[in-house]
Amino acid sequence: MLKRYLARRLLVAVPSLLIASAIVFMLPRLIPGDAVQLMLAETSYAKDIDELRAKLGLDRPFHVQYVEWLARAARGDLGESLWTRRPVLSELAQRLPVTGELALYATVSALLIALPIGVVAAARQDSLSDYVLRSLAILGLSVPNFWLATLLIVLPAIWWGWRPVTGFVEFRQDPVAHVAQILLPALILGIASAAALMRLTRGMLLEVLRQDYVRTAWAKGLTERAVVIKHGLRNAVIPVITLLGTQLPLILGGTVIIEQIFGLPGVSRFLFDAINQRDYPVIQGVNLLVVSTVVLVNLVVDALYAVLDPRIRY
Amino acid sequence: MELRRRDVLAGGATLAATTLLPRTASAQTPRRGGTLALRLWDPPNWDLDQTISYKTHIAHTFTHSRLVKHKAGPGVAPGSLVIEGDLAESWTQPNETTYVFKLRRGVRWHNKPPVNGRELTAEDVRYTVERFLTVKGNANAYMLRSVDKVEAPDKYTVKFTLKEPFAWFLDMLANPMAVAIVAKEVVDKYGDLKPWESVIGTGPWMLDSYRPNIGYTYVRHPAYFVAGQPYIDRVEVTVDEDNASRTASFLAGKYDLGWELPGGIARSDWLQLRDTLKTKRPNLRVAEFPGNVGNHVSMRVDQKPFSDLRVRQAMSMALDRKALIDTLYEGSGVANPPGVPLALKDWSLPVDQLGDGAKNFAYDPKEAKRLLAAAGYPNGFPATICWTTYGTPIVVDHAQLVVKYFKDVGIDAKLDTKEYGAYISTCFYGKFDSLAFGPQTPFLDGDNYLFGYYYPGEMKNQSHVNDPVVADMLVRQRRTFDVGKRRELIHEAQRYLAKQVYYTTSVGTMYTVVWDGALKNHGPNLGYDYGGRLMAAWLDR
Repeated sequence: MLKRYLARRLLVAVPSLLIASAIVFMLPRLIPGDAVQLMLAETSYAKDIDELRAKLGLDRPFHVQYVEWLARAARGDLGESLWTRRPVLSELAQRLPVTGELALYATVSALLIALPIGVVAAARQDSLSDYVLRSLAILGLSVPNFWLATLLIVLPAIWWGWRPVTGFVEFRQDPVAHVAQILLPALILGIASAAALMRLTRGMLLEVLRQDYVRTAWAKGLTERAVVIKHGLRNAVIPVITLLGTQLPLILGGTVIIEQIFGLPGVSRFLFDAINQRDYPVIQGVNLLVVSTVVLVNLVVDALYAVLDPRIRY
Repeated sequence: MELRRRDVLAGGATLAATTLLPRTASAQTPRRGGTLALRLWDPPNWDLDQTISYKTHIAHTFTHSRLVKHKAGPGVAPGSLVIEGDLAESWTQPNETTYVFKLRRGVRWHNKPPVNGRELTAEDVRYTVERFLTVKGNANAYMLRSVDKVEAPDKYTVKFTLKEPFAWFLDMLANPMAVAIVAKEVVDKYGDLKPWESVIGTGPWMLDSYRPNIGYTYVRHPAYFVAGQPYIDRVEVTVDEDNASRTASFLAGKYDLGWELPGGIARSDWLQLRDTLKTKRPNLRVAEFPGNVGNHVSMRVDQKPFSDLRVRQAMSMALDRKALIDTLYEGSGVANPPGVPLALKDWSLPVDQLGDGAKNFAYDPKEAKRLLAAAGYPNGFPATICWTTYGTPIVVDHAQLVVKYFKDVGIDAKLDTKEYGAYISTCFYGKFDSLAFGPQTPFLDGDNYLFGYYYPGEMKNQSHVNDPVVADMLVRQRRTFDVGKRRELIHEAQRYLAKQVYYTTSVGTMYTVVWDGALKNHGPNLGYDYGGRLMAAWLDR
């Protein structure tokens, strides 16, 4: 059943991906400025602008370029960077682990913050701790992560002369320093998601805790821990998992600024530079990758429902 | 240390440098070793002849040598650009169009394939110059356009024959934007010099590793031709593109030099940080001197209304340069004369010495309106200003203030914002209909600021100036080898240009250069030559 369900979902994902691919192909070309002009700004042969445009295949009709790009993308070829002339896929492969690690740590931080706080806030509804925690959640939602990142970098430097690691340290060079340098940006990225998850956890748990079977659990004399965690949280967490799936694009979007601020050489920083340079194949490749990841993650989230709630069948 | 703006402006760079002379350091024995940490930039590519980017040019000053270079060290006052031999042990000028350089013997390339530490020869120099002049895409090739031929009569002699006398020839060779000597084998191996692996020179450091967007590392070249130098073993470069991150790193002592060109801190950041730095980095050394990045409004002087001198005078009088300095640079900037900026103190003439033309640089909106009316524009005229932001708030503020001042006298100028590439390939090279605005390249010689911008047909003659009087002066100064006489010719040209105001010259910044107290025997100066300035420096920690 699950296999058929997944196959159906994959089939539905195809038109979504096609629409998304057309958008990611079109949008970079709508940005003012031109890759060829930017490239020629670095050299003197401005007279060769048409020649270079033809050489890069940018002189052909828009739809021809799109169809050719799509056909190549379907075969796993995302083209070459206009600037480095290296395959986009291999450029991505170098940078993907950094962004993947950052997104993973951010998601884990979000869950580690959100679940316990959400549970405490629900279990102590309308208490002082509930108000404080809910206020913190609103603050977490309101504060832009780039602002928080800037403060967390600059203030410790001013107060204590302390600064996070500068320059990226690879895992094989120094595993501890490598993880340490990703923790702070991951935490910052995770905070906004944590706030949203915490609010939902609290709300759902409060609803579940009002159910009859929970009252039965209390009547049976179970401990608070058993009632809230085992019977309450497990049933409250399904919408939270759904929200977690929708938070991924936000986390990935946040990495664009965070990687830039912390100097992490991930996909998002690559995208940032590519946008500045109008490197169309790179912009298209990265966006297509992000869209595909989001579709895939949503699929995984749907599949997870059955694991969390045995009543759900496909 | 504290310097009053008045002192710096009155005394030029000399006072700043003199006050900071680390006399005790000069007396100490240099110490070998240590790692210098810098924030520099990620080069767009590593081929000097395929980019005009300062990011690449600066990176090469650590690894490559030139025939001649600018003298560096704490004894050199910023803005003073004295030429000395680099690869050239000596040189002669048998006549006005011939230069003969005698190369140092025993100069070794970095010990990397394909050169593997072989000795540098005159043929390498000949090949490099030929490549510089002929390779497609070299926007700086014009700097050696005077060269007719270059020969290598023997292993250690290089002979240049020029097409015509060019008194600035050595200045061009010394400029890090021009020729850094490369080996033919390396070009043959890599096709061009864009990959980082092809960064192989004879300079004091070798490029050891490069991680795009992260940083690069230089290690000492053990066979460098100056005995004992460089003293610093490693130079760790971080590519740090976020200002908050750079600021925090600098406060925490992770960079030994300021993070902006040429080892400084932007004025606005400096004013915010200086008190904190006094406690966090009490040993920090500071020097302030005028920067050589000029800002101006260029205009189509070959067309109405800018062909009318009165309109050009009105535009210049419309700018309140003092207010611009106060607003943009917190009171610490320079009101540059036309042509050569004040930073090149050996060649530039301050505004108050411009003679009759000085009045064009005084803020006088009433007179500006009168001049516009006299020129037939009592209600002003519309105009568009082609520009790009350079991604820098200070340029945006500057452009908006220029628009405001023009508007005050009736010139309804609208900003036409271009992408950087579009701007550079069009307006920067004079392809616009009305006006253009922006910062200009920080050259190190008077000629680039004058000949390039004012000689008919030159690529950077943005205002389309075609004035036989100016053209004659510019050619004459190029042919005058006597430095004193050439200086007088340049001053004469500046006085004339002040009257003609072919460009509306705006204000420029003062550099605030900072470096760690542990870095000894270092003297700041204009230009990209970080490697040259650090070659004889050492770390006392």
